[in-house]
Amino acid sequence: MNTVRLRLAFFLSLTLTIIWASAAQAKSITIDDSASQALEPSVSMHWETAAPSRTAGGNLMVGTTTIRVRLNLTPWLRHSGRIYLALPAQPPGPIRLSWVTQGRLLPGQLQSGGRVLVYAGPITAPFMDDTLTFQFTVDGSLMRRTVPVSYHFEMDEQ
Amino acid sequence: MHTDPPLQSGVQRGMSGCPSRLSASTLRPALAGAVLLAAGSTSVLAYTATLTAAAPEAIYLQVGVGLFTGGNYTPIQGDGQPTGTPGNNPTVNTVSVSLTTAQVGNGTAVAMTTNSTATQSYWDGYTFCTVPAQLYIGGFYRTASGNTAAAQVTATVPAALTDPNGDTLPFSKISWTSSGNGDFGAEPFPAGTFVNGGTQTVGTMASNTWNESCWTFSYANNTTPKSGFYTGTVTYTMTTP
Repeated sequence: MNTVRLRLAFFLSLTLTIIWASAAQAKSITIDDSASQALEPSVSMHWETAAPSRTAGGNLMVGTTTIRVRLNLTPWLRHSGRIYLALPAQPPGPIRLSWVTQGRLLPGQLQSGGRVLVYAGPITAPFMDDTLTFQFTVDGSLMRRTVPVSYHFEMDEQ
Repeated sequence: MHTDPPLQSGVQRGMSGCPSRLSASTLRPALAGAVLLAAGSTSVLAYTATLTAAAPEAIYLQVGVGLFTGGNYTPIQGDGQPTGTPGNNPTVNTVSVSLTTAQVGNGTAVAMTTNSTATQSYWDGYTFCTVPAQLYIGGFYRTASGNTAAAQVTATVPAALTDPNGDTLPFSKISWTSSGNGDFGAEPFPAGTFVNGGTQTVGTMASNTWNESCWTFSYANNTTPKSGFYTGTVTYTMTTP
């Protein structure tokens, strides 16, 4: 009988551990990047391929813009964190975003509706700065008028 | 906390919700911090980049000889621009045929020839048509909008060809087939026959594609008109949606 009870206790303990782990999953917090600055007033979109093809296609438009990103990481100072660049799904349709950095953040690319890790590690300063050159790619058929595209940085708390 | 920077046109900020960093289990020990964070939670921001289509529209139609300066449209240069630039060529090419007296009206169609020298596609220089047997027709249109309907290419046709004496020959006696070197599938400018006066659609161009065909004209030669030099002018027009 003792043996049976011990096994049962072990099972319950394991179950609680799993529940606790689930409850402790990371929570995403939008990072204050209000000190960031755009170097261009708008993103001029040009045809990705200047010449249309003989077959269907060549309908993508691309545009670049440079942003001096300044992330306020004060709430996470002296902690470790994972920072993501998130591009929510939004009208008018699918948007592809790629970027290069000066090295503080990671370069990457993503589709609208997704997010990509740009930093993982200790937060040692209240602000994190980098200059990012973004390239937006969108189907030209969606460019009926100017298209506002929103993106943000978010922190996954451990 | 931060202060909001001046808004910039095009790339500006929009408000987004900020989830609280405080869970119930941490509320009490972090009460002082909660007051400050609550103030910040209403002003955490997301960037909004405004995408604006620059020079999003272009149109080019070539029937017979055309004009590109600086080379063909491709290859694309490092700056993303085409090699050549489309231009305006005012030349009006002719398609013609001469019949002998014995040949007139014998019911056998006669191939017509053109004085156009356009054999190569301005898209890439590919030798697409054969002259003088074929007349090149091609071009493209691009637009950055939700309206991706095809552009229409129409021919405005006089009621008849005429000679200096006022004799007439119906335009419907002239037909054409469509092809192109190495081409396959449906032609954007398919075979057809002229109407006797009016405007008829001779092809379509899907948005953002280069379209081209080579037309081979023929005269039906199934009537016996008076001897003469019959002429008529057909004007081709591309209309974008």
